[in-house]
Amino acid sequence: MDPNNRLSGNELRNSIPNQTAFSHFNTQHPQKWEDPSLIDYSTRIEPPFQGFNQVKISQDGLGNEMRSTYKIQDWDPSAMLNNLSFLEQKIHQLQELVHLIVGRRMQVLGRPDEFVTQQQQLLNADLTSIIVQLISTAGSLLPSVKSTLPAAPPSVGQFGQLGGAVFPLPGLNGGVQLQNTNGSKVPDQPNQSDISANCVTEQNLNIEEHDLKEEEDADEGENLPPGTYEILQPEKEEILAPHTHFCTICGKGFKRDANLRMHMRGHGDEYKTPAALAKPHKEPSSEPTLIKRYSCPYSGCKRNKDHKKFQPLKTILCVKNHYKRTHCDKSYTCSRCNTKRFSVIADLKTHEKHCGKDKWLCSCGTTFSRKDKLFGHITLFQGHTPAISVEESKALVGPSDQKEGNQGTNKAGSMNFNFPPNATSDSGIQSIMDVKGNTDDPAGIFSPLNFDNFGGFGEFPRPPFDDSESSFAFLLSGSYNYSQKNEADDNSNNLA
Amino acid sequence: MKRQKRECPESSNPFDVLSEEIIFMVLDLLEQNPLDKKAFSLVCKSFYATESKHRKTLKPLRQQHLPAVLSRYPNITHLDLTMCSRVSDASLSSISNACRFNLRSIDFSQSRLLSCSGLLGLAQNCKNLVEIDLSNGTELKDSAMAAIAEARNLEKLWLARCKSITDMGIGCVAVGCRKLKLLSLKWCLGVGDLGVGLVAVKCKEIRSLDLSYLPITNKCLPSILKLQYLEDLVLEGCFGIDDDSLGVFKHGCKSLKSLDMSSCQNISQSGLSSLISGTEGLQQLTLAYGSPVTTSLANGLKKLSMLQSIKLDGCMITCDGLKTIADWCISLRELSLSKCSGVTDEGLSSVVMKQRGLTKLDITCCRKITDASIACIANLCNSLTSFRMESCTLISREAFVLIGQRCHLLEELDLTDNEIDDEGLKSISRCSKLATLKLGICLNITDEGLMHIGKGCPKLKELDLYRSSGITDLGILEIARGCSDLEMINIAYCKEITDASFLSLSKCSQLRTFESRGCPLITSFGLTAIAVGCKQLTKLDIKKCHNIDDAGMLQLAHFSQNLRQINLSYTSVTDVGLLSLASISCIQNITILHLKGLTPSGLAAALLSCGGLTKMKLQSTFKWLLPQPLLEHLEARGCAFQWRDKVLQVSFSFYS
Repeated sequence: MDPNNRLSGNELRNSIPNQTAFSHFNTQHPQKWEDPSLIDYSTRIEPPFQGFNQVKISQDGLGNEMRSTYKIQDWDPSAMLNNLSFLEQKIHQLQELVHLIVGRRMQVLGRPDEFVTQQQQLLNADLTSIIVQLISTAGSLLPSVKSTLPAAPPSVGQFGQLGGAVFPLPGLNGGVQLQNTNGSKVPDQPNQSDISANCVTEQNLNIEEHDLKEEEDADEGENLPPGTYEILQPEKEEILAPHTHFCTICGKGFKRDANLRMHMRGHGDEYKTPAALAKPHKEPSSEPTLIKRYSCPYSGCKRNKDHKKFQPLKTILCVKNHYKRTHCDKSYTCSRCNTKRFSVIADLKTHEKHCGKDKWLCSCGTTFSRKDKLFGHITLFQGHTPAISVEESKALVGPSDQKEGNQGTNKAGSMNFNFPPNATSDSGIQSIMDVKGNTDDPAGIFSPLNFDNFGGFGEFPRPPFDDSESSFAFLLSGSYNYSQKNEADDNSNNLA
Repeated sequence: MKRQKRECPESSNPFDVLSEEIIFMVLDLLEQNPLDKKAFSLVCKSFYATESKHRKTLKPLRQQHLPAVLSRYPNITHLDLTMCSRVSDASLSSISNACRFNLRSIDFSQSRLLSCSGLLGLAQNCKNLVEIDLSNGTELKDSAMAAIAEARNLEKLWLARCKSITDMGIGCVAVGCRKLKLLSLKWCLGVGDLGVGLVAVKCKEIRSLDLSYLPITNKCLPSILKLQYLEDLVLEGCFGIDDDSLGVFKHGCKSLKSLDMSSCQNISQSGLSSLISGTEGLQQLTLAYGSPVTTSLANGLKKLSMLQSIKLDGCMITCDGLKTIADWCISLRELSLSKCSGVTDEGLSSVVMKQRGLTKLDITCCRKITDASIACIANLCNSLTSFRMESCTLISREAFVLIGQRCHLLEELDLTDNEIDDEGLKSISRCSKLATLKLGICLNITDEGLMHIGKGCPKLKELDLYRSSGITDLGILEIARGCSDLEMINIAYCKEITDASFLSLSKCSQLRTFESRGCPLITSFGLTAIAVGCKQLTKLDIKKCHNIDDAGMLQLAHFSQNLRQINLSYTSVTDVGLLSLASISCIQNITILHLKGLTPSGLAAALLSCGGLTKMKLQSTFKWLLPQPLLEHLEARGCAFQWRDKVLQVSFSFYS
């Protein structure tokens, strides 16, 4: 069963035309994910792996779909066309797959039903993703007709530049999009979370970390019984949009309604009346106003209304900050240390006030402004040790270089602390080539890259997504893309 | 040696019959004198090889020879580098490469200028290293601690006086060396609550923890008291710990057996009682130089049924306090009241009445004590093995007779500065187990008393006759005859002593420490006799023996190859004598003040040829007379200079 299955995966990959950036992305990624898992697969057969291919494909689809929706936001006919052609390709692929299955069914009559159902699931997922994409493509036209948004969120632009390389993050967001637009859960959603448990852990991790922050501005002790308040769930676009108030005449966007009203004066005398300039009155309190609480549009998030232990957010600002901190790329980098990254600009400014004052370091790369905080951190986490300051540890690092292989976290930490940007490229390659090997990697090598994502929580299990993030950094700088892909090809060929 | 070789050709070597184990057992019995084993190894090649395999501990004199020595002895488990004042990186790497998995214990306590890369190599290569002594490493930094932290199997670590270490370094050790059982941080002034707290959290195996003079406060105590196996806790001189928050601890550390809270000025009885509540197993309690011992403090000891030893040195003690201690403690073995004020006959005799099983009693400088107490002690505490009563000036000479009559088990007796006379000594000579006897400044004793001691105490190892001016050669002769095991003798300022005494003492072949300061009649002849007879001599003080000159030094240099420490001040030794001394390879510590015949160039030559010198006490005038590069060179080799500018003392008389 498994050799066949693998074969199908390979053929599937080979069958995809290898021209556009999208398809490139498609061919590359399954390999990344598959190679290590295939090794496993051939040795032991476990139910979670049966849906592996299918899930992977659906994720690919989601990733593309998500990017397409981003593009659609600023309504661009060429992007639309691109999307449609992609969909077309996708359908062709599917067609081929079905052909294959039909052909295979002849050969493998004796196979257990599992295999058949698995193939069905595979198809099902692909079809779902195509449908979802179609819907979102169509649906996203609507807002863009109303107002031509001047700019997409900055992160989108970044993704565009990166081409297909940034699979993980869009992939995740794609999942959200999927739910938003569809309104119902995609059939394979649970499956996905099972297998790609690693990526889920990362999400959770982020959530946990930021929940701590949020609980400061959000209400911790508030225990409103469900139903006593009205839940509002802003769309993702609404959250990420730089402006919330738009001039109906010229389309210019504003952050505050008051600014818009001031702007409107330019469009005619009728906007200059005291009534027009006055703050719009709130609804008369005839009907008892329900307390408003907000839900995060990200499914699976604790702040999402579908979550079992849903904790509502108090204001729209809370939602915005929460969403950006937890589910968005951290695009603001501290100009001083060049390591800490933030998704909310206010957080960056807060950090920059204290940046450089953190002189207490842990071997995991985390810095602390107070010694007792560092020692609390070390007390809490196994294997973390205080890192001796750079100038003093130079003597220590010298001889330890030769024994790189069996270095403990300690030295790795102290050595990596003043890492040059290129130093991580090795680890980047490594992580791509054997994702699996690094899944259980201790805080050691990757710590300097990762800790800013994790804050002090470096010791949590490290999902492969981390690696892809470090590979992300590496892909930006180097042209290893090609060789790495070859490597992956070789591997898979060897296995086939 | 050559003859022996010829006599035992390999074919008929009788030792071939013996298995290696048996020869090892024989060698085990040769531990006493290091020269014996050396002689053994020089017999023949097979003996040499056997001895090489047998040796487990090594105490090299020079680090230069380490590579050769280590390749000769492959089974070394314990390496004592206290004789090497400087251990270079090269030596460290040769150690770590040669002793890889055998080495279990290493002692750097007298070595300076260790580099952290060297330590790192050691910690990484010698995986079975269990003990490291880094005491006195005042220049060791946190990075060195990070290196030590690589020794994952470390169980014992001494870091006394490593003043440059901070919490960060200790944190590394705490995380790296999880198996630590003993940790001494005495005088590590840079280590505070955080470091100590982390040690207590991470190293759960700790049995013994020395936190003397650390700037710690109550904050780290909760985690220390949670240590499951902690048996020995020393909190001497922790001024930051006070009563206020000690009250929080309802339960102390259950496993604790020994607690030292000396000089903790801010802890009174309330803090102490909360700290020792729940420590039912406590056996040793030291509260020296602390708050006054009153009834209420003594009441805190109520529950400590296992308590065997109490040390209250230097405390103010009330009579009632002493009585309460006597009441609460069930079986006290050891009581130290040295320099306590407030110890009276009433209090002391009440203790003695209740605690008849006392084996060690220290009442040094309890000046209110009279014959009554001594009579009580002598009558009731017959099992005393150690009794120290220096400067108990009110005690009459008759009292000492009582001690000798009753306390036959005495092994250590300190009678310094007392009224004891020959009658007393005669009585004390009945203590046939006596090993240490201190009779300094006992002006009433004469040769007759010593004669009794010499006859009655064959096991005597230490005899102190400092300024007991009634002693002459006759007494010493009797001692030398009777006490052939003598290891230490002090006859400083016994002005009647002549070369005859030295001649008789040269029969005591075990003599290690010899102090004859201010004996003006001694000449080089006497010294030569000692040098020839006492091969074990390691410490020699002949300060103010004006008649000793280069002739003595030449003989000393030739025969006393184990000499480490010498004081030559005010003698007639010149450059020649000093230069010849420099040929003793062990010599580490030299004091030469006011040597008239010493020239700067002679001194420089001597200093250069003393490779193992660690401490040199000189007149400060030489600081300017010696070339600066020479001093720098010597300091780099690990020698520390102490400069003194004492004025030449013309009169030596102490008592008119």
